[in-house]
Amino acid sequence: MDIFTLAIWIGTLIFLGISFFKDKVRTKQALKMAFGMGKGMVASILSIIFAIGLILTLLPPTEIAGFVSKQSVLLATFVAALFGTITLVPAFIAFPLVGTLVNAGVGIIPSVAFLTTLTMVGVVTFPLEKKEFGVKFTAVRNGLSFLFAIIIALVMGVII
Amino acid sequence: MTILKKIKENLFLVAVALAYIILFFIKPSLGIESVKNSGYYIKEMLMIMPVIFILTALLDMWIPKEKIMRYLGKDAGAKGIFLSFVVGSISAGPIYAAFPMCVMLHKKGASIRNIVIILSSWAVIKVPMLLNEAKFLGPKFMVIRWVLTVIAIIIFSWISAKLIKDKDLPGEVLAQPGLHINRDACMGCTLCVKNYPALFEMQGKKAVIKTYEPESLDIEMLQDTIKACPVHAIEYSDE
Repeated sequence: MDIFTLAIWIGTLIFLGISFFKDKVRTKQALKMAFGMGKGMVASILSIIFAIGLILTLLPPTEIAGFVSKQSVLLATFVAALFGTITLVPAFIAFPLVGTLVNAGVGIIPSVAFLTTLTMVGVVTFPLEKKEFGVKFTAVRNGLSFLFAIIIALVMGVII
Repeated sequence: MTILKKIKENLFLVAVALAYIILFFIKPSLGIESVKNSGYYIKEMLMIMPVIFILTALLDMWIPKEKIMRYLGKDAGAKGIFLSFVVGSISAGPIYAAFPMCVMLHKKGASIRNIVIILSSWAVIKVPMLLNEAKFLGPKFMVIRWVLTVIAIIIFSWISAKLIKDKDLPGEVLAQPGLHINRDACMGCTLCVKNYPALFEMQGKKAVIKTYEPESLDIEMLQDTIKACPVHAIEYSDE
């Protein structure tokens, strides 16, 4: 558990303690509500997780990296951004992977495009986001994030 | 019919389950590997989601609507944008962990722009991630990418707010007199039925309101029930 997750746990537990001390009934309501929220989301979250597991097996990141390193910058950027879109990779895998990419001479632009879409745009999280925020919000947010991921990558390619 | 409806509501879940079944038939070894690969994410979820749900519910209970509106609403301006970046950056967990928190904030008056900022910064500019990035790609790379990402989020959150209206999000019902349940938002947790069995009942997987006499309503019990609903699907106004 990283220090931030731990801090959120400790902060929330203190908050919960104060809340319980101030108003038992409301705190119980809040806990019931939290449980209700969890129940409402658990099926969607599990499908996201198992979809990621499947994608990582069928399209291993190392193979994608190998493929990307052989392409032209433009195609590599697009493929890298697209791959970042369909999956979610934990940071401790993503950064070493991108580090290897850059060291192998892939270039900054595809690597940055990959990093940004990886976390911000999600095909697997789309159904859940749609359920919570509606189709329009989800489409606009993911679309713009993808577009700006490419823009960020191009600008970085110019600066560095 | 109900089975068909259930499948339609959980299309993604059904698709994933089918993919696994097919994979286990064609190549069991790949199926096992997929399950193993999912293991890390399950651990990650169990570490963060329970606390996010509790925190969201507590904030919902204790922070009044006016405060959220003042600090994260449409008129919060630069202060609201800054605060949204802070909330997103000090968070933990994957982007879907931000969903329940953002839904709650939006229902209490946070603007679309600030919600987009929280979601995006929750995804990309977390502090532990930045340290990791500096380690593997160098501090210069990290700082430039971070600055560009913040600028990009400021721009596209503004565009999002122009394109998306509050009514595009589910759970926004026009305030009509009387008692309403937003059936799209209701997820069948049965809390309202437990809290006020004389007024609510379950019909299939959704809660419905029984026929009632306006004079016989126990307003206090009703208000408690409304507050307890995890998705704020119940609305009441007495005018």
